[in-house]
Amino acid sequence: MSNFFIYLGMGLFSLVFLCLYRGVFGPGVLNRIAAISAIGTKTLVILLLMGFIYDRVEMFIDISMVYALLNFIGTITAAKYLEIKREV
Amino acid sequence: MIRLPVICYSFLVARYSNEYQETSNEQPATSNETMTQVTDDIIIRTVARILIPFIQLYALYVIMHGHHSPGGGFQGGVILGASFILYLITHGLEEAKIRMSEVKAGLFSSFGLLIYSGIGLLCLILGSNYLDYGKLSAILRVIPAQARSLGILGVEIGVGIAVMAVMFSIFFDISTGGILPEDEEGGQEGR
Repeated sequence: MSNFFIYLGMGLFSLVFLCLYRGVFGPGVLNRIAAISAIGTKTLVILLLMGFIYDRVEMFIDISMVYALLNFIGTITAAKYLEIKREV
Repeated sequence: MIRLPVICYSFLVARYSNEYQETSNEQPATSNETMTQVTDDIIIRTVARILIPFIQLYALYVIMHGHHSPGGGFQGGVILGASFILYLITHGLEEAKIRMSEVKAGLFSSFGLLIYSGIGLLCLILGSNYLDYGKLSAILRVIPAQARSLGILGVEIGVGIAVMAVMFSIFFDISTGGILPEDEEGGQEGR
C-alpha cells in the first residue's frame, strides 16, 4: 500500500510542474494566481501522502492545515492587490 | 516552498510586462485606495470573521505543542500574525487599529523578547548557563526534566508573541507605506 502512495505522490509531483509552467508563462495575472493556488493544494495532498508513507499522519496533518491556511490568505491578499491596482 | 519565488516573479512580470499597458492606462489607481481599505465584499468579510477565531486557536495549539510535534514559537507566531493580517485586509485600517495598532505591536514584540530573555537570565541568576532550564526546578518545585519542558514552553510563548507582533508590524508598515492617517491630520491620537 505504501508503493501506491509513493506513485500517487510522484504523479502529483509531475502535475505540479504543469501548474508551474502556467504560473510562470501564463497569460495574465489571474492565471498565475490560480496556478499558485493549485500548486499549494497539490503540495497539501503530497504532504498528507508523505504522512501515510511514514505512518505519522497526525503529525503531517498539522503541517498541511497550516499550508492550506496560508494558501488561503495569500490568495486573498493577491486578489486584494489586484483589486487596488486594477490591471487585470 | 516554491510559492514565494513564484509569487514574486509573477508580480514582477505583471508589473513590467507590456501586454496590459493599454488597460492599465484606462483606469489608473487612485491614491486613496490602499491595501488596508475596507473590502465591500460581504462574503470575504463573513468568511474572515468566522475563520479568524479558529486560526488563532490553531496558532495557540501550534505554540503549545511545539516541543513534541512540528511547530513551535516561530510557526505559531506566524499563524497568529496571519490572522491579524487577514483581519487588517478584510476589515480595514480603522477597525483593525482597535484590535491591534502599531503601538500595541511594538509593545507586544518587546514583551515577547522580555519573556524570552527573562527566562534565560533567570537561569543565569540561578547559577547555570543561559537558557539552561534545569535549574528552574528550584523555583517551579518540579523535577528537572519537567522544568526543562516548562522552561522551553515559556520561551516558545515569548517567541510566539514577538513574532506575531513583528509580522503584523511589517505588514502594517508596508501596506500603509509608513504613513498613518492620523499622522497626516496632525497626530492627535495613538502616541
